[in-house]
Amino acid sequence: MNKAPALTLALAAPGLAVLALFFLLPLGVVVAEAFRGDALARFLANRELVASLLNSLVLGVEAAAVALVIGIAVALHLARLPPGRRALIQVVIALPLTFSGLIIAYGFILVLGRAGFVTMLLARLGADPATVASFLFSEWGLVLAYTYYLTPRVILMLVPVFANFDERQLQAAESMGASRLRALADVMVPQIAPTVAAAFALVAAVAIGAYGTALALVGTQINILPLRLYSMVADSGADFPLAAAVSVVLLAVCSLLMAAAEIAAASSEARHAQH
Amino acid sequence: MSVAVESLSFAYAPAGAGVSGITLSLEAGEFCAVIGPSGCGKSTLLRLIAGFLTPDSGAIRIGGQDMAHVPARRRDLGVVFQSYALFPHMSAAENVAYPLKLRGAPRAERLRRAGEALERARLSGMADRLPGQLSGGQQQRVALARALVFQPRALLLDEPLSALDAAHRAAMRDEIRAIQREHGIATLHVTHDQEEALSIADRVAVMRDGRLLQVATPRTLYDEPADAFVAGFVGHANLLDGVVRAPGLVETAIGTLACATGDHTAGSTVTVFFRPEAVRPDPEGAVNRFEGRVVRDRFLGSLRRFDLAVAGGCILGETASRRDIAAVGIPPEGIRLLRR
Amino acid sequence: MPIVTALYLAYLAAPILLLAVGSFGELWTNTLLPTGATTRWYEEVWSDPSFRRAFGVSLTVCAATCAATALIGVPLAYAIYSAAGRGVRVAARVLYLLPVAAPPLVLGFGFILVFSSDALPFLGTSWLLVAGHVVLTLPYLMQTLVADMRHLDLATLERAGESLGAGFFARLFDIVLPSLRHSLASGLIMVAALSIGEFQLSNLIAGFLSRPYPVVLLQAFYGATGFACAGTMVLLLLAFTAALGSAVAGRGVSLRQGGV
Repeated sequence: MNKAPALTLALAAPGLAVLALFFLLPLGVVVAEAFRGDALARFLANRELVASLLNSLVLGVEAAAVALVIGIAVALHLARLPPGRRALIQVVIALPLTFSGLIIAYGFILVLGRAGFVTMLLARLGADPATVASFLFSEWGLVLAYTYYLTPRVILMLVPVFANFDERQLQAAESMGASRLRALADVMVPQIAPTVAAAFALVAAVAIGAYGTALALVGTQINILPLRLYSMVADSGADFPLAAAVSVVLLAVCSLLMAAAEIAAASSEARHAQH
Repeated sequence: MSVAVESLSFAYAPAGAGVSGITLSLEAGEFCAVIGPSGCGKSTLLRLIAGFLTPDSGAIRIGGQDMAHVPARRRDLGVVFQSYALFPHMSAAENVAYPLKLRGAPRAERLRRAGEALERARLSGMADRLPGQLSGGQQQRVALARALVFQPRALLLDEPLSALDAAHRAAMRDEIRAIQREHGIATLHVTHDQEEALSIADRVAVMRDGRLLQVATPRTLYDEPADAFVAGFVGHANLLDGVVRAPGLVETAIGTLACATGDHTAGSTVTVFFRPEAVRPDPEGAVNRFEGRVVRDRFLGSLRRFDLAVAGGCILGETASRRDIAAVGIPPEGIRLLRR
Repeated sequence: MPIVTALYLAYLAAPILLLAVGSFGELWTNTLLPTGATTRWYEEVWSDPSFRRAFGVSLTVCAATCAATALIGVPLAYAIYSAAGRGVRVAARVLYLLPVAAPPLVLGFGFILVFSSDALPFLGTSWLLVAGHVVLTLPYLMQTLVADMRHLDLATLERAGESLGAGFFARLFDIVLPSLRHSLASGLIMVAALSIGEFQLSNLIAGFLSRPYPVVLLQAFYGATGFACAGTMVLLLLAFTAALGSAVAGRGVSLRQGGV
């Protein structure tokens, strides 16, 4: 397998060049722009921007938590299905991953918007349509819509872990005197915890970095970091150094979360690698 | 402590496989192996005794107490699984200490006892390794140590050697037996490997289609199988359909054989059974003499196993002789008749 | 537990079903479901010049993205697989994480800064849009291809080929590419689906006349419900087709590897 390094490099060169020119260069320029002058200091002094950062973190944590709860429940069920049926349902569940955020946004407007299907249903039961719709166009509405494409990621990450878990381990623990609950806590939870943590960090990063769904759903009314950045960038003649500072903060948050996810995933892989 | 099951029955819903009417008892300190082809119910029997399944009817007594409806965790049985079921997130020592932790032993005592158990299993240097860092044989010894460390009332082994390669399997077999003797613990060992069962067990139980066919010492099982299935499953065997023609004479496809017919009356159909080692390659003056041609000849070192094609069939024989074989004799005392 | 899955699938289906119903509904204002059936909205979307142009742009950009991603992706994946060093493995992991770690919004801002400069005045061109899509989708193709190469144990297959007398190009065309065809197809369809639906980067860097479909679609959300539904359904159907195609091609991978 020891190919000549020159050949390997030649094969990799076009790809590396594209990544350097269209990925590293733009991001490098953004970072450089942010560190020129006092942009980062101005970010920290700007109350509204700091508030939007906190809002984004809260939104990310909430959306990830909801996606995790639903994802765990569905993954536990799927892991018990025969492989053929499981594969079929997984194809359906993975569909939203390729959907544009716009599809989801407009779909939820039809479900819960001012004249949405569920809104109208609830209105017949005496609810005020405006109240129902204001839920969709609030932070919780974003959580609901984000969950739509975060949950499949959680499920696809967790199903293999649940399916590969050897149930005999629980039997072994019980034969040694552990109750079912104790066996789950001592034996199963520690083994799935790293993957659950990795899934949480990953989907939180996705939720914090995305703006498409939010833009379609609420315009720029909600104060979250990516929407602030979007309006700064879209409005040419705006303060680009400050926008660069916002970008760097967003980049840092998402990268840190991804690094955390990677470390969690690696710790569980290292444990299973030698099996 | 003794282990006994009485008229134990269990069927997997909705229909079919399971076990039915199993009665078997192990005395304290006895080593009993359960063998049979896959799907015969031997693992089901072990799971019933362990408490992972609840029987439809029948009793499971451990030390005289009926345990049929007691959950697995209160049965106090050491179980070793085919996959070992070691906890991958716990070190070898933590795995072995886990049952002690469940029993509320203080940390220092747990570690001491786990350390001792690992030392006995010749794994003292491996205490801090995770299962993924141990070889198959080492994992197997950790699993055994874990199953024994809390001094269970009996030991249940579910095909514990099947994941090992042949060389390790034989060594591990002797080791299991030695450890079992040392602990003096009643042990049920489920395996599909009849040679393993014969070499390790005090008694061997043969199962087929959820039923117990025969329970006997290895020697009795080999010499006096209860039926053709047991005869064929345990060791190599010549099995021929036959009809008793007269006292002392049985007619088969390869010819008429002289042998003791016991209480089989003339006209009754039987299975004629003789082991390959009973077949004599030097048939001068033999009673049951057959001429033929060797169609397959396997040299196995200390012995040689051959198929002799004779008129009407084939005879499997074993011999240490290296000469050419053109005829064999089957001494009447080597032949047994089994009911069909 | 099956109830959870059923409820979840209902949650997945609800917005899509309503989009489908809405796109064929004559009128939908303050009623539970639309009244009257019509194909008018699809006709309107079809005859709308800006939608038509955007659709054409999307297909062109998608095709170009697939071609470019395959051309640079297959050699890169092969290089990653061949160079088994630890550094390369880490670099590859980082590459796979990039689409999430670096939000398209930030990347888009970077494009604006770099390519609206006097030195590189390319902002608003279609090929820059393609370059952006390539960078966003490349990691997904890499991951699929490298995983498949490992799974196939391509190195052993190649050694076998070499022992039979196959040179580098013979191995490439007779062994490497044919054995990767399922994962390449599955990965490229995934790339196509992502490219067709991409909004976040395109919305920032596309020129006015080269706006892809999703960017134009956003404007429709503020107009008639039926029109917006029909416009969204077009995008949805493309995504659906691609996802199912990818699953079918991916099934070839799992079948060959002895999975179910």
